[in-house]
Amino acid sequence: MEQDKRNILHLDLDTFFVSVERLRNSQLNNKPIIVGGTSDRGVVSACSYETRAFGVYSGMPMKMARRLCPEARLIRGDMDQYSKYSHLVTDIIADEAPVYEKMSIDEHYLDLTGMDRFFGTLKWSKELRQRIIKESGLPISFGLSKNKCVAKIATGEAKPNGELQIASQEILPFLAPLSIRKIPGVGNKAFQTLRTMGVDTIATLRNVPPDMVARVLGKNGEDVWKKANGIDLSPVKPYRERKSIGTERTFNNDRADTARLEEIIAAMTEKLAFELRRKEKVTSCVTIKIRYANFDTHTKQQRIPYSAMDHQLIKIGRELFRKVYDRRMRVRLVGVKFSHLVHGAHQLDLFEDTSEMVRLYQALDSLKNRYGDHIVHKALSMSGRKVVGR
Amino acid sequence: MNFVVSSTDLLNHLQAIAKVISSKNTLPILDNFLFELKSNVLTITASDLETTLVTSMEVENAEGEGVIAVDARRLLKLKDTSEQPLTFNINTETLSVDILSESGKFSKVEQKGDDFPQPHEVDETKKTEIALPAEALLTAINKTIFATADDDLRPVMNGILFTFSADYMTAVASDAHKMVRYRRTDITSEQESSFILPQKPAQLLKNLLPNDESEVKIVFDHQNAIIEFANFVQVCRLVEGKYPNYDAVIPKDNPYRMTVDRLDIYNKLKMVSGYANPASNLVKMSIAPNELKVSAQDLDFSMSAFERLKCEYEGEEMEIGFKGVFLLEIIANISSTDVFVELSDPSRAALFLPVEKDDDNEDLLMLIMPMMVNQ
Repeated sequence: MEQDKRNILHLDLDTFFVSVERLRNSQLNNKPIIVGGTSDRGVVSACSYETRAFGVYSGMPMKMARRLCPEARLIRGDMDQYSKYSHLVTDIIADEAPVYEKMSIDEHYLDLTGMDRFFGTLKWSKELRQRIIKESGLPISFGLSKNKCVAKIATGEAKPNGELQIASQEILPFLAPLSIRKIPGVGNKAFQTLRTMGVDTIATLRNVPPDMVARVLGKNGEDVWKKANGIDLSPVKPYRERKSIGTERTFNNDRADTARLEEIIAAMTEKLAFELRRKEKVTSCVTIKIRYANFDTHTKQQRIPYSAMDHQLIKIGRELFRKVYDRRMRVRLVGVKFSHLVHGAHQLDLFEDTSEMVRLYQALDSLKNRYGDHIVHKALSMSGRKVVGR
Repeated sequence: MNFVVSSTDLLNHLQAIAKVISSKNTLPILDNFLFELKSNVLTITASDLETTLVTSMEVENAEGEGVIAVDARRLLKLKDTSEQPLTFNINTETLSVDILSESGKFSKVEQKGDDFPQPHEVDETKKTEIALPAEALLTAINKTIFATADDDLRPVMNGILFTFSADYMTAVASDAHKMVRYRRTDITSEQESSFILPQKPAQLLKNLLPNDESEVKIVFDHQNAIIEFANFVQVCRLVEGKYPNYDAVIPKDNPYRMTVDRLDIYNKLKMVSGYANPASNLVKMSIAPNELKVSAQDLDFSMSAFERLKCEYEGEEMEIGFKGVFLLEIIANISSTDVFVELSDPSRAALFLPVEKDDDNEDLLMLIMPMMVNQ
């Protein structure tokens, strides 16, 4: 579709985790707040605007954030609460919008193309924003433009708690003075590469031949150049199936006791496998990730017949861990991921699965469904469980 | 050596054995047919090292004797020519082969026949010999081959297990999710013996065996088998190893029995399984007295389907899940008008049995493991 005819709205909840915490405890209003792993080795997952003045940003090591802003109140964070509020917002959007894409826990794209015939898109967007603020109590910003990329950049400029419309003739002048860092898809590395070339603002990037950008940034380069020119034809995808589930854990102290590491992996696997079974899904690919003390990160994965059974997945997880852990170095992080998920059930094996085992799983799962998944687990994962947490 | 042969006659023999030639051979010589002429009999061999097929035919105007390996791909192009006598002029010294047709000539330098690998041999001291009608072996393969596995981790299950005893011959195939046991009480052997025939030679036999009472002779040891019938000989390597104890996993006392019309359930399942998730292919059967409901759904693409059909059932109401393709394969391979489905609970194997037999000597049992469905 022609870009000029499209109207894309990007909605982003401001400092989402912090806002949720403030909603639940009004004493936190207007105080510097950091949400993230509270140990020295954790990272900042969200921080309030008050802390940003000190140079804190999300993704920064907690230790550094604490040094920069010692006054900040540290909060461990409660993912369950955050997803609850996120759902609340999604429900409001689903109620109003024709097509929406949930990009992440706090971001949504809406395709409003064609709605300007009946409502002014800006008026409609403002009303939607007010409704979200009123009903959820969370501050939210939006950017409205002709494509996803410009809408997202506009939201970034509108923040905090603002709104911005960039009409099609304003796109190029709007982008021109901005830093190339603001283009979605330009990460730290691409930013530095371009900086060394003397490219700083989007206006400069526009003048670089697209071939050259593609040469230095790889296959992503052409897209980046197009985005710098306000061109982004990616559609708003209404529905995104969760393609994988996973969990990972950074330790307080690096560790090398393989027996314990295997227990932790078993505990993670058990927890994820239950999650699969609860959602009536099965996986066909298991990935184990480890990060050594020197931050070298290695992963190993294996395709398996569709399964959601602890005992099979734990065995595969253990084998993969033994393969991937091949250096005599302490480990900082381990993670387990299941991908290639499909909705379905486990096909029982004539020679391996017994009816007793199936009933055992069913009994365990019904206990977990009723009393929570911490109520019963394998002895093997007992100690690993403490590290993984509930 | 020289001989004259009818092109269609030769082609029939070549095509019968050509399927053994693998498209990705490790040895280039295996892309050839081995021709061996002795008096007026031409023996043609094709092989993929594991399996060797040999056929023989009479030729006219035969002169001389010898062996030569002839390019298979080019020779098989005969299928596009009309029926005509072909004259082969072969010089085993220079390896030149001239084929004279009615209106042309085809020449190529071929390869030495002696380079062609010899078929495996059966150890004379350990061999067992069995003779049975071709029809019995063919039916046994036809009924079981679909259930063989394709699993590198459990190679024994990639074949059909044949066992011979004083009471019956049994053919068993299973991929650990479904299983077929086909028995023939009219075929017996005083000596207890068994072998596992891999999938490829079984498939080749399926295409070659005549469906009649003619005799098939099987000679085998623990490694190889020689199967002779009509004017063919198949020499193949067997799967070595111990087949899992399949008898132990066949439920002996499934208390509930359902009777359904086979074609009815087949057609309805086929339709319904199209609406299942393509990867897991889960189809649920909800069984109640007098009514069976088959249903499927795919939440990812929000589609669902169900069909009801009549059944006779006495027992507890039950919901049990199966892989749709397995169910279809099982039902397609039973030939009676009605089938019995014997069940005990949703986590145990279900048995599928024909209600009436084609032949009194036959005993067919099919088994399928359910999928674990949340209750």
